[in-house]
Amino acid sequence: MQDFVKRAMAGRPFVWVDGARFLLLAGIVLWLLTATDGTDYPWQWHRVPPFLFSQEDGFWTAGPLLQGLAVTLQISTLALVLSLVIGLATALLRLSGSCTARALARLYLELIRNTPLLIQIFFVYFVLAPILDIGAFAAAVLALSFFEGAYAAEILRAGIVSLPRGQWEAAHSLGLGAWPTWRHVILPQAVRRVLPPLAGQAISLVKDSALVSTIAIYDLTMAGQKIVAETFLAFEIWFTVAAIYLVLTFGLSLAVRALERRMAAAPLRAAGGVG
Amino acid sequence: MRTEERIIAATNLTKRFPGGVLALDGFSLTVRRGEVVVIIGPSGSGKSTFLRCLNGLEEIDGGSIVIDGIPLDHRRKNRLHIRREVGMVFQAFNLFPHLTVRQNIDLAQVQVRRRTPAEAAAVTAALLAKVGIGEKADRHPQELSGGQQQRVAIARALAMDPKVMLFDEATSALDPEMIGEVLAVMKTLAAEGMTMVVVTHEMGFAREAGDRIVFMEAGRLVEAGEPEGFFRAPREARTRAFLGQIL
Repeated sequence: MQDFVKRAMAGRPFVWVDGARFLLLAGIVLWLLTATDGTDYPWQWHRVPPFLFSQEDGFWTAGPLLQGLAVTLQISTLALVLSLVIGLATALLRLSGSCTARALARLYLELIRNTPLLIQIFFVYFVLAPILDIGAFAAAVLALSFFEGAYAAEILRAGIVSLPRGQWEAAHSLGLGAWPTWRHVILPQAVRRVLPPLAGQAISLVKDSALVSTIAIYDLTMAGQKIVAETFLAFEIWFTVAAIYLVLTFGLSLAVRALERRMAAAPLRAAGGVG
Repeated sequence: MRTEERIIAATNLTKRFPGGVLALDGFSLTVRRGEVVVIIGPSGSGKSTFLRCLNGLEEIDGGSIVIDGIPLDHRRKNRLHIRREVGMVFQAFNLFPHLTVRQNIDLAQVQVRRRTPAEAAAVTAALLAKVGIGEKADRHPQELSGGQQQRVAIARALAMDPKVMLFDEATSALDPEMIGEVLAVMKTLAAEGMTMVVVTHEMGFAREAGDRIVFMEAGRLVEAGEPEGFFRAPREARTRAFLGQIL
């Protein structure tokens, strides 16, 4: 079984079988997307490319979909960074000795995790944004960051408490202060352990960012929505939008996998820890 | 004993664990500069707890600890100072698995002692040579044998130029063939005049390197003396019973 996994990951002996399966699958999908016999839907894929990019006088211009993608990328990247900061801060509060800090972190987590993201986005945009005097873009980034930050916090906390107590004791006995202990001993190990679930969270963030289209942000989803309203190419456009999200998230998982592999080069195995 | 000769003064320590177990029950011990004190006793007698109290890993419930003239009280500055002057070697090594051997030893030198990377590197190289694993500097701890890991841990503690070294059953987790190499390093340290408090079951080491043997049971000091007399003619019946079991 393990051998199978290894070979499949190495991708050598199975590449032909896999390739054949892939072609077959692609054929079925293509057939479904273009078949006009069984359904009444007239597929018009040829009308899609102009919405991705157009060429005029030798210049390539991004169409509305790619412009929307740029906005989605900006929001996702900013929210990802901010959510990690919020997540880390919350995890530290959760683990702190202060009752107030723990209660505060707990309140934040429960509020965020037990209410729908859509309503949180509305709350930030319609209630907080006017008070803080921020625009829709900032509201979107904030709402997403606080939402994903709650999940990141619990993931990071799990990684931190999974470390053997001996790591803290060794740092303590060397006279390391709190900050160097976190910075050089605890966090590097904790983050490595939780990289896979953190990556999953990042992918969720990219997909969840579609919801910001509801507060007048011209992101990828909003761009799709507008085009569909104008052209009635509902399936072609929505499938294209989904494919773009897929490329984005798949790229993200590949990047994280590469990062994991790089970190695995420096092996991680504490006494009583995981390999 | 003059005050300046005394580097550890632990007086009347009590420590009760949350479960209700009294780990230290009025235990007192004074250690002179350069002295090697070996603490023996049955498991659960409070030996390790005492060591862990000395550098603040455990809180005492009563009594006082003064190390090199500084009381281990609730002042942050004092506690930090004591942690920096007292090195500790653990049963489970507790090396940092994400760092190489060299980085393990460099870390606190740079972060705590504020040495430049070049200064730290020189100290690290000298210490690795001293514990006999210079060629493993760029390996990660888990690529080393248990005995090698424990020698790295000793080097890591020594890099801070501690005034006292605490050894908490440093050889108990090792395979028999690796115990000797770690004890050899500890004996070298003892011979060089390092102040050491050693909790161990290695009676050979106690006899050879110890200046004083302390026998603990149930959180109390039962008997203490120079190794020669202690092992030849223990005064207390409980000591005789313990030695009879393990020797």
